[in-house]
Amino acid sequence: MKETERHNPETGDKWEVQLRKGCLELAILAALWDAKLYGLEILRQLENDSDLIVSEGTIYPLLSRLKALGLVGSEWVESEAGHPRKYYALTRAGKQRAVEMTATWTRFSSRMSKLLAPVKKEK
Amino acid sequence: MVSSTDEQQQKIEGYLAKLRGGLRGMNEHEVHEIMQELRAHIVDKTVVGGGATTFTVDSTLDALGSPEALANQYLTVALLSRAEINRSPLRIMQGLFRWASLSIAGLLVMAASIVGYVLGGALMLSALLKLIHPRAAGLWAYPTSTGDLELSLRMGFGGPPIGARDVFGWWILPIGLLTGCGLVALTTRFALWCARRYRQSRVLP
Repeated sequence: MKETERHNPETGDKWEVQLRKGCLELAILAALWDAKLYGLEILRQLENDSDLIVSEGTIYPLLSRLKALGLVGSEWVESEAGHPRKYYALTRAGKQRAVEMTATWTRFSSRMSKLLAPVKKEK
Repeated sequence: MVSSTDEQQQKIEGYLAKLRGGLRGMNEHEVHEIMQELRAHIVDKTVVGGGATTFTVDSTLDALGSPEALANQYLTVALLSRAEINRSPLRIMQGLFRWASLSIAGLLVMAASIVGYVLGGALMLSALLKLIHPRAAGLWAYPTSTGDLELSLRMGFGGPPIGARDVFGWWILPIGLLTGCGLVALTTRFALWCARRYRQSRVLP
């Protein structure tokens, strides 16, 4: 078998991108679990507490989508900086969705960890 | 003489003006909120970076992406989210129409959806009009001059072609309604599936 067939970095990168995309919605809902945050704070929290690096031009349309779906609500709050900021918070439906997604994630990751245990040992 | 701060402010205003231009079609309240939110984001980022210098403003605007691309994301997300909540073909076609103006993928999905909805609607209509025009509405098969058999879905306005045979007769009622409804439902699912795929592909760079 050729080396390129055994390990294709491009395919690996795509897989990782897909994985991150799939987690983004859950990550945002989790970031808002016990705090109202504005866009930049959400970005910082995702950068600090997860491996997700989200482009700034992506987060705002995504928040707009979550709002349209009724998963988050928003309110304008005057800031010390002198301009209002749009704070996002989970709605009841958003909390419900976060709980469901977390349960799915936990079940999935624990089973995957079990499956991956021999691979980890080999490494 | 234009000071550096004024120059940076002009750059920010230019970016926001282009973004506003790209958000045509959204309601004014939504556009106002987007503009206000992004203005706050730009100010916060530049302040954190040490003030409105060429470097901080350029890097902040670069990180947001081009105003056209950002506007497209907002429009697609807004319209498709609404279409997902309210699955009416009209709402979906509104979303698809806007999507089609943004990308080839949208144009293709819109074209396929038009075919699906028109065919589904025509089948249902033909079935219902059978009740009013029993001798002319329905699916008719007739021989052409070359000897081939052609099918014609007719609404009952004008008589059927000479020598034509009513394929389903009164069975067009259940068949037309069920097939028509199924086709409309399938088209809706197809359009939303494509929309979701497109949106997911835009979530991260």
